Amino acid sequence: MRSFQYLAPIPAFDYVAPKTLSELFETLEGHGRELQVMAGGTDLTIALKERTTTPQIVVDLGWLRKELGGIAVEGGILRIGALATFSQMEVSPFVARYANALRQAAANVGTLQIRSIATLGGNLATASPAADSAPPLIALGATATFLSRSGKRTVPVQGVFKGPKRNGLRFGEIISSVEIPANDEVCSAWTRAAVRNENVLSTVSVAVASTVADRRFGPSRVALGAVAPTPILAEKASAAMTGSAATSEQAERVAALAAEDAKPISDIRASAHYRRHLVSVLTRRLILQMLSESVAP
Amino acid sequence: MKVKFRLNGETRIDEIEPNQTLCDYLHDAAGTTSVKKGCDTGECGACTVLLDDMPVTSCLVLAPQIDGREVVTAEGLGSKSSPHPVQREFVAQDAVQCGYCIPGMIVTLSWIYEHVPGASDAEIKRLMSGNLCRCTGYLPQVEALKAATKGT
Repeated sequence: MRSFQYLAPIPAFDYVAPKTLSELFETLEGHGRELQVMAGGTDLTIALKERTTTPQIVVDLGWLRKELGGIAVEGGILRIGALATFSQMEVSPFVARYANALRQAAANVGTLQIRSIATLGGNLATASPAADSAPPLIALGATATFLSRSGKRTVPVQGVFKGPKRNGLRFGEIISSVEIPANDEVCSAWTRAAVRNENVLSTVSVAVASTVADRRFGPSRVALGAVAPTPILAEKASAAMTGSAATSEQAERVAALAAEDAKPISDIRASAHYRRHLVSVLTRRLILQMLSESVAP
Repeated sequence: MKVKFRLNGETRIDEIEPNQTLCDYLHDAAGTTSVKKGCDTGECGACTVLLDDMPVTSCLVLAPQIDGREVVTAEGLGSKSSPHPVQREFVAQDAVQCGYCIPGMIVTLSWIYEHVPGASDAEIKRLMSGNLCRCTGYLPQVEALKAATKGT
């Protein structure tokens, strides 16, 4: 339950909104935990009210939407800026074409009002085990670009997550964008189980990306959310699916392995046992759906 | 800090404290009292306003984030003598009971009216899921939006 102690004002902090990237990195320089970067702010404002974060400095990226936003395809890569909002991903034709799983997840996150401001970069940097953008990105083999004054580094999206609410960013670094291979052959899908349809954290989420040709699965990835300390690649399930016969029996087998790959805990939303069960149900459902679409005329 | 932004069509320059939400600023300092604080955690939608023409829960926005941007509250959508079509139909369809959720609800539905005019019932319900109403059961409000869309 949320407490209402925060009817008291949020403790004071210095607010900085850099207008250029160099101004941003200058601001970040020399600071550690006392500085908090803000993208859309939907998680941060609640953390400020709950006092789970008490920064001395808040750095708002809001003026850098041109540098850190946008959704584009170039050179076979779908690049989504860290400040792209869930609403923008929900309606982007590029995301629909190359990252259907991400589009489905984006359309289900929070509410219209939250999707309007919540960003992809913020969702990843907050590093919730239940971050809905992560399983689609992991399934699609996406990478995140970390930018700092000294340059860029690229990490697989699962590498952004180090533990519950712990990201792999170093001080002075921000997430600038996410890159997804733009491949028309790949079909991907996402689904979740939650206690209601809208405005709720996922109890379990699953994304699958694969190709189906000549009744066989090509390179495949199954990714899971809210069933481990971080979103994960379901390794046994992905390996078993890759190159296998595209049949409903195989969907069963992959789903069972995905449940083995999950490392769920029991919490307020579900027991570990039920979560594991949901992983297999949702994984099987996504693969069967993929099969029925691939044989359709 | 100093912010310059547009509120309901008028440019406004204000000295604000950064450690407050847009919801508190609009209701307590800017005089736009249609903006209601309900849950203060982005769940109920009573504080919904348009920020650069997108509906947002203003309790999840820090007041300084509006610098250089455009904010519209229910006051900016229409007036008593010249209501927005959605406001007009809320009255005609009796879509209001206690009223606390209504300004936020109107902001969201006016956005759907402008941007998703052909929305199905299911799509309307999905898009308005961020506005909770404990009185009406939502159906009169869906009907009001559809009547507004039909009427123009």
